[in-house]
Amino acid sequence: MSKQTITQKTSDNQYYHKDFHIALNFGIDYLHRNFGEEAVRAYLTQFASVYYSPLIEAISEKGLLAIKEHYENIYEIEKAVFDMSFSQDKLIIQLSASPAVVHIKANGHTVSELFHETVSTVNKIICRNTPYDFELLEYNNSNGAYRLRFFRRDE
Amino acid sequence: MISCTEFIPAYSELFKYIEQKGDKKAVVDFWNYLSDKFLTNLKDLVAINGIRGCWIYWSKTLEEEAADFTMELDEEAGEFSITMHHCPSKGKLVEYKHIEPYHDYCEHCDVLYRRVLEPLGLKYELDRSQTDQARCQLSVKLKKE
Repeated sequence: MSKQTITQKTSDNQYYHKDFHIALNFGIDYLHRNFGEEAVRAYLTQFASVYYSPLIEAISEKGLLAIKEHYENIYEIEKAVFDMSFSQDKLIIQLSASPAVVHIKANGHTVSELFHETVSTVNKIICRNTPYDFELLEYNNSNGAYRLRFFRRDE
Repeated sequence: MISCTEFIPAYSELFKYIEQKGDKKAVVDFWNYLSDKFLTNLKDLVAINGIRGCWIYWSKTLEEEAADFTMELDEEAGEFSITMHHCPSKGKLVEYKHIEPYHDYCEHCDVLYRRVLEPLGLKYELDRSQTDQARCQLSVKLKKE
């Protein structure tokens, strides 16, 4: 029997709690089962419109460079293996495996049937009111690997 | 891809969305579901280690969430507590200028953990009186026979 005390400051550690991927997966699955497929897209639309509003603003100033920088930052945090091909009017992103899907599965959970909407719906909404569009070219359900294309919409 | 570092605003917006689709009870139903499915690790740790399981569970999660806290365990007295000086989740939601947090955001911590710990013979209390400043006090005590 012992008595223990610990005090930690925010600056002592890096903010990186991978189990949040599992919680989001449960959230997506719960919405799907209880409110239907459309509710998953509606929720992600609402979330992306609000949360990514600074990114959406940045796209109108910097174009596709804003999206490139956003995902470079995310992938670096998540230690993801990726490849990007970038020009002023086109951005192709190839992700070798989704750190979210890999973590969910590694912890013995089933990935929600609609988890891919966290990629497709979210990116559609990020582009919705910008001069750019988005296309999910490939998605691998087993590890969440994907290939994305962002491109300038025809005038 | 939504990073795990972007989860908290996604979580808060999920509570809002569920309440729009249903009501507050629908949100609490979701918290109960999440507690049962997601907190199996806390349940297992406490089942095996007793109140020390709380110390083991929160040592990992609070470190990964880069929280500002003091955590205490007195196994002889059967007491565990967390004084959250700055909650990383609520703190982030308050910092974001473009996001309005779900009105009862911090209540999820009350519902999720109580549901796991009380059936295991522990008394769970959460003082949420200062959550507007991202502070709270969590206490777990062994129920006396």
